[in-house]
Amino acid sequence: MLTIKDLRASVEGKEILKGLNLDIKPGEVHAIMGPNGAGKSTLGYVLSGRDGYEVSGGQVELNGENVLEMEVEERAQAGLFLAFQYPVEIPGVSNMEFMKESVNAVRKERGEESLSAAEFLKKAKEACKQVNLPLDFLKRGVNEGFSGGEKKRNEIMQMILLEPSICILDESDSGLDVDALQVVANGVNSQRDGKRSFIVVTHYQRLLDYIEPDFVHILADGKIVKSGDASLAKEVEKTGYAWLSKAEEAGA
Amino acid sequence: MSQWLNGVIERAQGVDDWLSPIRQQALAQLSQQSWPGRRTEAWRYTSLHPIADAQWAQSEPADAAVSTEQRQALSIEGLETIDIWFVDGQLQTDISQITLPSGLTMQSFAQADDQARAAAAQVFTQVKPPKHLFGLVNDVLANNGVIIDVAADAAVNTPVRIINLCSDGVESHNRVLVRLGERAQACVIEHGAGDGASLNTAYAEYQLGRDAKLEHYRFALHAKQAIHVGGCHFNMGESSRLNSTLVGYGSQLSRIDVDIQHTEQHAFAKFNNIYLLAEGEHFDLHSSIEHIVPNGTTEENARGIVGDNAKAVFNGRIHIHRDAQKTLAELNNRNLLLSRRGQINTKPELEIYADDVQCAHGATVAEIDDEALYYMLSRGIERSQALVMLNFGFIQELVDQMPNAALREWLQPKLQQRFAGMEVA
Repeated sequence: MLTIKDLRASVEGKEILKGLNLDIKPGEVHAIMGPNGAGKSTLGYVLSGRDGYEVSGGQVELNGENVLEMEVEERAQAGLFLAFQYPVEIPGVSNMEFMKESVNAVRKERGEESLSAAEFLKKAKEACKQVNLPLDFLKRGVNEGFSGGEKKRNEIMQMILLEPSICILDESDSGLDVDALQVVANGVNSQRDGKRSFIVVTHYQRLLDYIEPDFVHILADGKIVKSGDASLAKEVEKTGYAWLSKAEEAGA
Repeated sequence: MSQWLNGVIERAQGVDDWLSPIRQQALAQLSQQSWPGRRTEAWRYTSLHPIADAQWAQSEPADAAVSTEQRQALSIEGLETIDIWFVDGQLQTDISQITLPSGLTMQSFAQADDQARAAAAQVFTQVKPPKHLFGLVNDVLANNGVIIDVAADAAVNTPVRIINLCSDGVESHNRVLVRLGERAQACVIEHGAGDGASLNTAYAEYQLGRDAKLEHYRFALHAKQAIHVGGCHFNMGESSRLNSTLVGYGSQLSRIDVDIQHTEQHAFAKFNNIYLLAEGEHFDLHSSIEHIVPNGTTEENARGIVGDNAKAVFNGRIHIHRDAQKTLAELNNRNLLLSRRGQINTKPELEIYADDVQCAHGATVAEIDDEALYYMLSRGIERSQALVMLNFGFIQELVDQMPNAALREWLQPKLQQRFAGMEVA
């Protein structure tokens, strides 16, 4: 469903992704781990189409469609969802209004009818409960004054409501205590239906105790340098990323 | 000097009514004024060139009733109001035919009885400071006006709406005088609109008695070619409360002066201002808050969106006099520029002579928040819609603070629609 071939991208003239390959089939969970500065967050931004992230080579196809030619909003409408590492605060736009607008934009693209205010409210309330946020968060400004953990849970709530086909979770575990981590993980696991796929970007193995990946990839210096099953994450947890530079030296 | 102002002074000689003794004083002051230029601080960023030597047809008393279309265009759905219509400065509503709620008295300048004249004498030129040039013009020429008097202890629930409609090519001047007795409560809406190239001055003065409560709106929604210069001026009685919202579109030349004077203690004034300027429009708001006595509170929030080649001027002055201890005053101005060719001149001015006060002021000018926009797009929201939601949110906060729900529901889509039509360049 999502195929990334030799993806190269740069930010402000500096190449960050240097030929990344990834093939994700329906229902799979791929974890991407790696040291700081490896390009983990860049991958999410490039896939979502953020301004300033220049693609200089390679292909990305989502269900046979060329993602790189799409606008940011078209990618979302095509079923791509990025859970932000640092969700943006938008005072003055209520969470409810924001999510209703996005859900209906995505539904429109899928050829589905817009949800009425009442229908949406019902769904939103359920999703809100599912990520353990009080209902008044629906009325508040988008992420306005939310704690770090509340912002992350709000991302998962959006994911649940938008029903994307590929979810990219960018360090959704950072800054979370164990309880919040479980809420986020349960939210993600509830959406694993055998068809929806996930890219779980994380620095630590911790999140993968709760969201069990089918594949683990190590991203270093803009490339996938090693792939394996869930046991690879455990290995990284024990040895850290120091072996990467040693491997490079050995290779050189 | 300007030919137009010379004409005003000449025409003022012909205005003869029961307000003439006061008008004479204003005329004397007006005669001594020089025509403001670029070096006149109050007009530094707003050129009076479109008025200086221009000519308009003078408005004449007309029998023409307000057309059904005009009524519909300016109706506010879901809101019951007592409507007073001015068309080109001429009062078109026979106030004597309206059944008014108890405690509310309204009379036109032309038909004012002794009681109304006595009320007017306490308000006319008593609240508005003489420093406003066009205020003096209005003093000498506005022979159409309405006197609104709310008796002590009366709570008038139905808003009084004063509609000020201006037509192409016509010059007009009209006046509103409002007195709220002790503990009186009222809501007054000044609703300005019009088509084409008109010149209108509209000034309103409000005298709030002790413990009085005024909810006030001024909608200056004039056409692009219109020239509108006016003001709202409030004198705060002891422990009185004001909640005022001013909404302005720009035009060829749009200027509003607001004065809030705390002359008695423990008054609370909240003043919100929204301006939304489409391409090439100009809007200038000067507000001046005078804390003369101790224990007064003022909260002022002005927010504007400035389109391509449009220009906003905001001058917010807070003057805390030497005796005005324990004053709480906040002034904030936020602007959003939609284009590099838009312009904002914002100047918060704080003058504090008392030492035990809490005062804050700030002014910001921002461009489109790219990060927030990206976040919304990444959720599938269309770009045009995201821009409306994002930037309207900034205005929405002030719309939400308007106490009247029907007005909120009427205004919000209106402003949203206007904004959606503005290009981001």
